[in-house]
Amino acid sequence: MAAHLSYGRVNLNILREAARKELREFLDKCAGSKAIVWDEYLTGPFGLIAQYSLLKEHEVEKMFTLKSGRLPPADVKNIIFFVRPRLELMDIIAENILSEDKMQTPREFNILFVPRRSMLCEQRLKEQGVLGAFTNIDEYILDLIPYDGDLLSMESESAFRECYLENDQTSLYHTAKGLMTLQALYGTIPQIFGKGECARHVANMMLRMKREFAGSQTQILPVFDTLLLLDRNVDLLTPLATQLTYEGLIDEIYGITNGYVKLPPEKFAQKKQGEGGKDLPTEPKKLQLNSAEELYAEIRDKNFNAVGAALSKKAKIISAAFEERHNAKTVGEIKQFVSQLPHMQAARTSLANHTSIAELIKDITTSEAFFDNLTVEQEFMTGVDTDKVNTYIEDCIAQKDPLLKILRLVCMQSVCNNGLKQKVLDFYKREILQTYGYEHLLTLNNLEKVGLLKPQITTRNNYPTIRKTLKLWMEDANEQNPNDISYVYSGYAPLSVRLTQLLARPGWRSIEEVLKMLPGPHFEERQQLPPGLHKKRQQGENRTTLVFFLGGVTYAEIAALRFLSQMEDSGTEYIIATTKLINGTSWIKSLMDRPDQQI
Amino acid sequence: FYVKASYKEKRLEARLSLLQSAATEEEMRLLRFQRRLEEDKGEHLMGMSLQDTLQILLSIGLHKQAEQLYKDFRVPDKRYWWLKLTALADKEDWDELEKF
Repeated sequence: MAAHLSYGRVNLNILREAARKELREFLDKCAGSKAIVWDEYLTGPFGLIAQYSLLKEHEVEKMFTLKSGRLPPADVKNIIFFVRPRLELMDIIAENILSEDKMQTPREFNILFVPRRSMLCEQRLKEQGVLGAFTNIDEYILDLIPYDGDLLSMESESAFRECYLENDQTSLYHTAKGLMTLQALYGTIPQIFGKGECARHVANMMLRMKREFAGSQTQILPVFDTLLLLDRNVDLLTPLATQLTYEGLIDEIYGITNGYVKLPPEKFAQKKQGEGGKDLPTEPKKLQLNSAEELYAEIRDKNFNAVGAALSKKAKIISAAFEERHNAKTVGEIKQFVSQLPHMQAARTSLANHTSIAELIKDITTSEAFFDNLTVEQEFMTGVDTDKVNTYIEDCIAQKDPLLKILRLVCMQSVCNNGLKQKVLDFYKREILQTYGYEHLLTLNNLEKVGLLKPQITTRNNYPTIRKTLKLWMEDANEQNPNDISYVYSGYAPLSVRLTQLLARPGWRSIEEVLKMLPGPHFEERQQLPPGLHKKRQQGENRTTLVFFLGGVTYAEIAALRFLSQMEDSGTEYIIATTKLINGTSWIKSLMDRPDQQI
Repeated sequence: FYVKASYKEKRLEARLSLLQSAATEEEMRLLRFQRRLEEDKGEHLMGMSLQDTLQILLSIGLHKQAEQLYKDFRVPDKRYWWLKLTALADKEDWDELEKF
């Protein structure tokens, strides 16, 4: 099922297996039949670790979602709660248990905290008088979840908000712990680089944890050569820009959660064979997206303008393969053809799906609104008129376009101008409050706190300097056959990835000046390896770098890093880890004052 | 009493900065205006944004009141005209559009 995890340079299946083993051990601790009560948020991330079949093997018979009131009846011996350590969830559990006691058959209760158990939560259960009812209270450490062959994610939605807005560093602790787990499985990482406050914290914690565990050195040949920790607030600009890779656009338009995307069903309706379309599916079509799908792996990171060509090329190859049956003369040849059929069928379905998706996206990318939006973004990134009120934004507000779109653009202007003039900023704020309502004052306040929106203090704008030194804008980005990472945004090279690229060659010393302009310290640490474990590099063997984005990463940045890995002369392969996969919209949303509210 | 509670909360917020206090005062004025209108006309307006309030006023033909809000709150012309045009067009009130 998870073959795609082991394709890459680093076999992430080891991590997944370790996670599964632990889950099995816990499940076996509760003997007899069980029912799992899920904290709904966890089902997505868990799906990446274990399918229902694994749970079933361990006598899990029923699954419910956690909600207040009474538990649904189930004839099982154990009830297991899988929850995040949140106080409000504890109250629900307590309510569940208290209403349970009135019924007849006694059942055993267990609780599994993901990723850590918390004193506060246990205290709350005690106050509610139900702590004694549990046979097992345990924690299931799920920090880094293997997401794809070269991608790890903690799937923690609010990490950026917690770190930069609320000053809550719990998620940094989880990050450090997760990295320790990773080192236990893949060997100590000899070199650590970092940029930003949070990166510094994580590195400090890792080094301390290592000292505490001194003596229990892992005798594993290190798989990773370098770890690079990057704060999201070092590069606030990139997520704000609209991603222009195939996968990035799918995420921008439909949103990818836990590796799945939901698409409008209309386009896929006619493909249902047989029954003849008597009832149109009303449920959105759900598709899993990862590199296990050959075609998707090929096109996901391409600039969208190059996807069409790739799809039609693929279509020709597939139909040519089907044509071959006419040439098959001998029984042997026919047999060989038939044996390939399932594979070809799968390829054909996959091609059909992606053609439909590409059509859907094309409808949007060719629209005027999309083009106008992109033009303004590119103006900002190239530094055109960033110090004035932008008329396009003004018009969008007047037409009451979605608030998130407005915020994204205003923040982008602010970031590209190193803050907005007080007058301009006040104008935007007033417009937004008058149009969308006063309650958004708090959201604006949050954006200001994390630095996405700010008044200009000095008249010096250092963004142009950064842009020029790091070559963030490439005039002649080649979308079809890219030669630079800037193809992922059709011109703009993501700052974060540029930093990564420059670290590998020629090193950060050459850009010391620019690094100082970006927020937070930059540093380098070395971890001693036990003697005898120093890797002897073969001629032409690439280095492996783990890049950890604290506060989220976009699909386009991932695409850019994959592009770097594939470049012949880069000499480095990248594995990516993050707290959460984000795009501009989901990111800003996580910073809004009432994130649950529909806008 | 919702309003009272929210007033309190907003006053606290208002101390944070000058601009926010300006915004808060504006909001208070808007709420007062909305309450007055609600009592007079029986339209439900409380708690809406200025833009939404204007839109409703225009769509039910209270042009004088809308005009007053537009002046009181110094709404940029561009935004107000756009709003007025769409509101009137939606209503197919071509006479009023002609006048304007």
